[in-house]
Amino acid sequence: MNYPVWEPFILGGGLVIGIIAILHVFVSHFAVGGGLFLPLTERKAYRDNNPALLEYVKSHSKFFVLVVLVFGAVSGVGIWWSIGLVNPEATATLIHVFVWAWAIEWVFFIVEIAAAFIYYHGWDRLEPKTHLRVGWIYFGAAWASLLVINGILTFMLTPGKWLQTQTFASAYFNPGMMPSLVVRTAVCIALAGVYALITSAAVGDAALRSEVVGYAAKWLLVGAAIIPFAGIWYISTLPNMAREISMGGAPAVTIFAALSIFFSALVMVFTYFGPRQRPRQFNLVFALLLAVLALATTGVTEWVREAVRKPYIIYGYMYSNGLRLADLERVREQGVLKSARWVRQHEVDPQALERTGAEVFRVQCASCHTVDGYNGIRFAVKGWSWAMIDDQLAHLNSLKGFMPAFVGSEAERQALGAWLASLNLIPADLTIEPAPSALKAQSKDATGEGASQK
Amino acid sequence: MNPVIPGPVPVPLPAPPWLLEFLLVFTFILHLLAMNFLLGGVIILTVSSFRGGRDSRHDELTRRVSRALPPVTAFTITLGVAPLLFLQLVYGQLFYTSSALMAWYWLAVVFLVLLGYYGVYWYQMKHDELGPKAAWMILVTAILFIYVAFIFTQNMTAMLHPQDFYRLFLNGQVGTILGSVTLLNIARLAHFVAAAVALAGLGIALLSRRWQAESPELADWGRRYGVTWFMGGTCAQFLVGLWFLFSLPLEIRQALVDEKLAVGFLVLGILLAVLALLTAPKSLLATSVAILGTVSAMAVLRHLVRQAYLRPYFDPHSLSVQGQWAVFSIFVVLLLAGLATVGWMLYVFYRPAAAHRTLL
Repeated sequence: MNYPVWEPFILGGGLVIGIIAILHVFVSHFAVGGGLFLPLTERKAYRDNNPALLEYVKSHSKFFVLVVLVFGAVSGVGIWWSIGLVNPEATATLIHVFVWAWAIEWVFFIVEIAAAFIYYHGWDRLEPKTHLRVGWIYFGAAWASLLVINGILTFMLTPGKWLQTQTFASAYFNPGMMPSLVVRTAVCIALAGVYALITSAAVGDAALRSEVVGYAAKWLLVGAAIIPFAGIWYISTLPNMAREISMGGAPAVTIFAALSIFFSALVMVFTYFGPRQRPRQFNLVFALLLAVLALATTGVTEWVREAVRKPYIIYGYMYSNGLRLADLERVREQGVLKSARWVRQHEVDPQALERTGAEVFRVQCASCHTVDGYNGIRFAVKGWSWAMIDDQLAHLNSLKGFMPAFVGSEAERQALGAWLASLNLIPADLTIEPAPSALKAQSKDATGEGASQK
Repeated sequence: MNPVIPGPVPVPLPAPPWLLEFLLVFTFILHLLAMNFLLGGVIILTVSSFRGGRDSRHDELTRRVSRALPPVTAFTITLGVAPLLFLQLVYGQLFYTSSALMAWYWLAVVFLVLLGYYGVYWYQMKHDELGPKAAWMILVTAILFIYVAFIFTQNMTAMLHPQDFYRLFLNGQVGTILGSVTLLNIARLAHFVAAAVALAGLGIALLSRRWQAESPELADWGRRYGVTWFMGGTCAQFLVGLWFLFSLPLEIRQALVDEKLAVGFLVLGILLAVLALLTAPKSLLATSVAILGTVSAMAVLRHLVRQAYLRPYFDPHSLSVQGQWAVFSIFVVLLLAGLATVGWMLYVFYRPAAAHRTLL
């Protein structure tokens, strides 16, 4: 409402962030877990006096650098870029609360990158002991960066005491922070296994391949075994409504939550009976399939985590459309068009209700809905009369718990309804039920106009 | 028309504006150093790559310098995060608006940088395999990075003109409004590119000293080659810089003249650049120190120009402040510890005993 609303055609802002974020999560957790895998496996190779294993770790480190340092780093910046474009108000708020946390994370990034390059280029240059130490420095910095960002992420869903105290400590040490840290750390370990299965499947020597495949599978299984327990702990910290949404309250979210569990179980079963039990028969195609399944798990899980936060972007503080709860009364009194800065008209135009309605849609709904694409509104209101739409809009938050209430004047609400109703009108059977209020007379003209344009 | 500027976030700034602006400028200087080497580096390597087919010295130089580019790319990106963070904190009301108006272009930066980054890696890894064709690879990468610089120039200039926001909003579609490409913006972009070429030339000259033991001839030639780029870029910069300075609106130049500090930094920057130019053939160390001074002075001047532009519309000192000093102290301690750690790793990596083989 404070900023111009960008509508990325059929994707919608949410999906733009989602696509970048899911890919980033899939790589960045590997950046941490793989950082543990490298020094531990290197140490194992020294201890077992196993030069073949050491060669494998070397080749894995190259893959690691190419995936993590390039894609991981740039996609992380990409999330930041996209949230600033789609949700500037929330992004600005987070940066005001957490700028020093981000500055600290930045320090860890610098150490992480320097350590990764020196580890990768240092195989023949450094003493084994020193090289190993650089590997541990990498892992320490990478995990510490997770420690920092995790608190910021969980803050959005469980801001806890910050809502009253507004202090940094209560914002960062929020209720979801610890359990989420354990879940994410376990995911890191599991993903280290997933990626190691890819590189190990490509090993030429059969004996070594079999050894490394079994070893990598163990990483995946250990990480995956921790996730459900930590996950239950995490879910116990969620707000009641968030839990309800994921357990039947909103069908789509429930299906995705179920898929998350199903995909995870599938990955575990395949890994146990595949690479763990029969490492000799394991191949690259199987490894890539497992990786795709793991990506799907990451995708649906992150999607659910985002979805259960609805209708908020910062729980109990700011709605998904960037409206602060503290500002609700003011906007309700002034009307949304007068409160919004980036609109073409600040008044309801009774002669062009639909145009006004489209404007209201843009500032209040477009951060989650597109017209014809992701969360498309034309489809959502198909077959609805204007009266029915208006009734829904008037009780939006009670009818759909995951949506914020409509905020604005009655005339604005009706304008929005008129525009929504016009989206599916077919000129031939144009029958608008009587508008629910005083704007009746003008609005009939307006909808007639809209329909004839189509 | 009154400028439409989004209202401030009702959460206080976690430190006074002077500290945030100091960090903004300081980390921006760090970013500039890496960015200059990267942007100028890919431009110089493009030229050298096309000459590499006929001249083996160019071929060898591109092979060696290309190995430095991936870490430099990584640090360009990471060092760029900090200034953008502080910019968003202090100037977010302007920055988010100008970014949203050009959202598609702005988001494209991420993908272009990703492509360019893989381009840098590909060039390094396939240098010998591709032969002369590698030149096209690095040319594409250079174009990508110059385009990224162009988008940055557009956005960083657009955010200084809040009086235009609403008009742009009314006449276009949010996300596609790149703003007009003015002569001023082109001068600004050219100013950055010239600086990048000069600094990358100096960087190559410094790098070539590491080849001394192995191939003294190449090292000697590489130093002269890099210095030539440095001197050419810096001489061009005197013209481009003047062009940029006189493209600035009269009232901005007037505001800078009124402010003694700005004139001081401008004169200091130019004098140090002259000094760097004079010492370049003899002492790379003196040149490096002098040009570091120029870059720093110019970064401060750039900040003063930004303030002059925004003075009628926006004053960071009007924002409320509530210092988060405890976390800030942790940041400072960790920053020092982090730098020490990086220093230790560089030490063990580069100490003579470790030099079984050369990295760069």
